[in-house]
Amino acid sequence: MKIRGTVAAALASAGILLAGWQTGTQAGGISTVASNTTAAGAPGATGTGTSGSAGSAGSSSSSGTTGSSGSAGSGPSSSSNASGTYKGTTVQTRFGPVQVQITVANGKITDVTALQLTNTDGKSIQISNRAAPLLKSKVLAAQSANVQTVSGATITSDAYLTSLQAAIDAANL
Amino acid sequence: MNTQLLPASPAASSSGRPELSPPKIPARGWFTRQYRQRMLRTDLLTVIAWASVAAAIALWLADGGATTITSPAALFTAAGIVAGLAGMDLVLLMLLLAARIPFIDRTIGHDRALEFHGKLGKPSLYLLLAHGLLLAVGYGMAEGLDPVSESINLWVQVPDMWLAFVSMALFIAVVVTSLVAVRRRFPYEFWYVVHLLTYAAVATSIPHQFSVGGLFAAGTWQRWYWLAICIYTGSAVVYFRILEPVLATVRHQLTVARVEAVAPGVVNIVMRGRKLDQLAGTGGRFFIWRFLAPGMWWHPHPFSLSAEPVVNGQDGQGTLRVTVRNLGTGSAQLLRLRKGTKVALEGPYGLLSTAARTKNKVVMIGAGIGITPLRALLETTPFTPGEATVLLRGHTEKELYLRNEILDLCQARGVRLFHLTGPRSRGRSTWLPEESVRNGYSLNSYVPDIKDADVYVCGPAAWAANVIADAGQAGVRQEQIHHERFDW
Repeated sequence: MKIRGTVAAALASAGILLAGWQTGTQAGGISTVASNTTAAGAPGATGTGTSGSAGSAGSSSSSGTTGSSGSAGSGPSSSSNASGTYKGTTVQTRFGPVQVQITVANGKITDVTALQLTNTDGKSIQISNRAAPLLKSKVLAAQSANVQTVSGATITSDAYLTSLQAAIDAANL
Repeated sequence: MNTQLLPASPAASSSGRPELSPPKIPARGWFTRQYRQRMLRTDLLTVIAWASVAAAIALWLADGGATTITSPAALFTAAGIVAGLAGMDLVLLMLLLAARIPFIDRTIGHDRALEFHGKLGKPSLYLLLAHGLLLAVGYGMAEGLDPVSESINLWVQVPDMWLAFVSMALFIAVVVTSLVAVRRRFPYEFWYVVHLLTYAAVATSIPHQFSVGGLFAAGTWQRWYWLAICIYTGSAVVYFRILEPVLATVRHQLTVARVEAVAPGVVNIVMRGRKLDQLAGTGGRFFIWRFLAPGMWWHPHPFSLSAEPVVNGQDGQGTLRVTVRNLGTGSAQLLRLRKGTKVALEGPYGLLSTAARTKNKVVMIGAGIGITPLRALLETTPFTPGEATVLLRGHTEKELYLRNEILDLCQARGVRLFHLTGPRSRGRSTWLPEESVRNGYSLNSYVPDIKDADVYVCGPAAWAANVIADAGQAGVRQEQIHHERFDW
């Protein structure tokens, strides 16, 4: 009788796990907000990955965004009225990588796109979805990375702004 | 002495005492069916317990958990999350096992539920520790930090994480104080208070599950599972451990009617109350009693009824009785209970009842104060005359508490009765008197047909373990042995 219970329990558990696995891999989980929509087609925004880490901007307060890797977008330097799209560095956080891209027209930031946002779990995605639009509008208004972080999304905000600063540096604004 | 007081004779009807209405004897095979159903429920509980752990992990997988594993760091993080999910699930199962849910009590009994509860303690703590360590490593690797600085970061930076650290410390405290070696060093009350911190540990762990972990995030499958299991566990604990005892206390309005001496240091506490007809058939099962007098009300006493409730008035008015031996400071006060003291009760709990029966024949083996619940069971559990045997063990006749009542019951119902007195045997069968063993008697000599009987054992733990070992050797299967811890 004890064996019957154990076997039944093991089979049921295996079945449940398998079903969960199936659902998870087929649906691909929850879709993340970040997507590579904006094409970097504007003149001057050619290469990426040339210059090294632009992560220095991230060494400010948050150690949640310390490690920064990847490549800063390197646009054509010199002029302050640069145009094009510039990618920031990919900032690793404990909830996943964060990378933003800015669109610049005549030296003004006209758009900020999140290429990657914290996405390790449902809650991170929820936070990202809430924080990204807020950060974007703040950045567009301030025209810099010196904006307040979104409360309750400190880590995402810090990483977002660090990546943004790298993109701004790359655009030489 | 080793006296057979009554042969296996049919019931003698001329006992001269008020006639008991003998319990109705169910049809042949009824006890087998009852046993099969109980085993089915046991298996169901096993499946539910395992499946809940599997479901906790499966739902994480279903929400795309495995798809996040893209780097070694993410692998550590994922392992940490899985450990946390399984750990949390086990903690909730432990709370459910300790919640005194009637379905669980009816199926495996209160003491076995608590035994499983105890067995899950260490595994769940290990899982929670692994959860913390793996995540510190995984998060740390993602950011290029060592696990220690990462932990400090988490504490300082991430909202609610400091509460999670507090929760972990509380869990460690609860498990450590429950280790047998540690538990012995402190009074019961100390352990009890620390154990109550479990609720604080669970409560402080929940905020970070909301804000950092995604357990309750909108749009996930996990949200519904965790909401359901948390709400169910919470309400089960509140209802069965707090609300139902209060309701029972108000319903029965028990007061102490009298305290009568049975033997030196042993008393009957007789309580008067109402609606006692609802407690019919609970003789032998235990309740947790609190005598609401100054300095006593906070002390819970687990005592079994030593007689079936007696109903003799309107609205189920009647009396209940427990038989108590002066074992500690708490019980000592009971000898001086005043008439009219109000009594709070929780219960009935446990499987020392007819619900545990698997066979038509019955054997009851009791020692010391453990005899008294068997006295109540003997009154109510159904059997045909000649199919039951009672063995009472004590140093002297005087220690065979309630022996006269038991003798009367045995006469009325046709039960073989043995009084086993004298110093205990050294060597084999230490549960028997030395004299019996020397004369070559074993369990089988007293009860030749024991392997076809349900064996109820009640007495001190070491003694009972010895009885159970002998019964096993005599061919009694595990499911036929009904034993409840009595040395609380």
